[in-house]
Amino acid sequence: MVQGRNNSQETVRVDFRFRRELAQKLEGNLASFCYQCGACVGDCPATTYSGTFNPREIMLKVLYGLGEELLTEDSILWQCTNCYNCHERCPQEVKPVEVIISLKNMLADRGIIPPSAQKIIETFETTGRTTPISSAVHKQRERFGLPPLQPVPMDEIRALIEPASKGGDTA
Amino acid sequence: MKRFAFFPGCLIPARHPAMEFAIRSTLPKLGIEIVDLEGASCCPDPIYFKSKDKISWLAVAARNLCLAEDIGVDIFTNCSGCTATLSETYHLLQDLELRAQVNERLKRIGKEYRGTARVRHIATLVRDEVGYEVIRQSVVRPLEDLKVAIHYGCHLLKPSRIMQVDDPNNPTVLEHLVSALGANPVRHRNWYLCCGKACQTEEVPLNMMHDLLGAVCSEHADILCLICPTCYGQFDHGQMKVSRQFDEEFETPPIYYFQLLAFAQGVPYDKLGFERQRFKPECLRRFEMATAETAAPSSGDVHTE
Repeated sequence: MVQGRNNSQETVRVDFRFRRELAQKLEGNLASFCYQCGACVGDCPATTYSGTFNPREIMLKVLYGLGEELLTEDSILWQCTNCYNCHERCPQEVKPVEVIISLKNMLADRGIIPPSAQKIIETFETTGRTTPISSAVHKQRERFGLPPLQPVPMDEIRALIEPASKGGDTA
Repeated sequence: MKRFAFFPGCLIPARHPAMEFAIRSTLPKLGIEIVDLEGASCCPDPIYFKSKDKISWLAVAARNLCLAEDIGVDIFTNCSGCTATLSETYHLLQDLELRAQVNERLKRIGKEYRGTARVRHIATLVRDEVGYEVIRQSVVRPLEDLKVAIHYGCHLLKPSRIMQVDDPNNPTVLEHLVSALGANPVRHRNWYLCCGKACQTEEVPLNMMHDLLGAVCSEHADILCLICPTCYGQFDHGQMKVSRQFDEEFETPPIYYFQLLAFAQGVPYDKLGFERQRFKPECLRRFEMATAETAAPSSGDVHTE
């Protein structure tokens, strides 16, 4: 059940600003097609092992526009294992995992990213790789007779991940 | 020789060079020429960077696909995460509106995505471009009576509409690949479970891995075969952690399929980097002794472009 309302008398007000912001994210708007059948729940490993994570409930909160409950510092969204079972099972092609990732994009826009994830993102944004390259790595590769790893052209990566400028492209 | 662009990603080249070595030594024996992609970056990963900004994620992934398009070859990946990102990008960018949006970004670096390079996981590549029979013929050291548990992981199979690899409810590709080496694949009761690595909490992956390892160990398999470096980490270092935390003895050595293939093709055990594993597949040594007198082991030289 969706919780968090002050009392049972209170009407749920759909936060359309939240809905619009989510719809701007790639595949964020797919939640609109959810008819709450729960096919995503049975096969969800996070539901099985956490007791608090439930993709159907997350889609319901999205439909109600209850963004405040999802976009928190200790957001439940990061319990998703990204296994794609919900994507596989959904008869409406809602792709709940993609909606969850879009919600994480909204968290990131608010500067909220778990430190463990932030560290990997920073490694990518500075080196173009998610695994740091050290001299030990080079030595190991040499031992196996593997070609040396070339640096990633970071000027190109930086240019691509730069947000679109005002009045410029829409990408 | 059929030519394919090799997209090695981040984890295997840096953390598990033994896996890359195995790929480079096995594929040429199966008639596949490896073309290295110059200037490739992280795919980027489908968990962390994608969670920050999907459009930037898509743009960088499209750039990686452009590198293969520019030299006119299809791509193969060796990591399920890279497979997820690049396959999804290929799929999403069939939408011409989205493709135009991504191409606006690619214009900044003078590139254009055209959608001409297909993406395949290496397991699918050898199934479709080589075939189980040719793999079987390449084996000089049949792994008879080796009981091999299998872990598919998530992104080789799902979402099936995008991956188009196998039936996600009853996959067989890894069973066939293992059988081709002469070994006996076994399907444990939790075969469909995720490894949990992407989950950013302790509780979910720990309990999930506990159930998963319980199922694997109850089969008393000699080794566990997998095809993703992230899953590998969960089953190697992770297996030790779970054993300690639950005070139970889980000890099935995980092996990346192409290392097992390399071994079956005659690469010496000591050249395959198994000493770096926490759970070592020492059980393989018996095959080395058995074939020492009958076949000259191949040198295991690495073929690169």
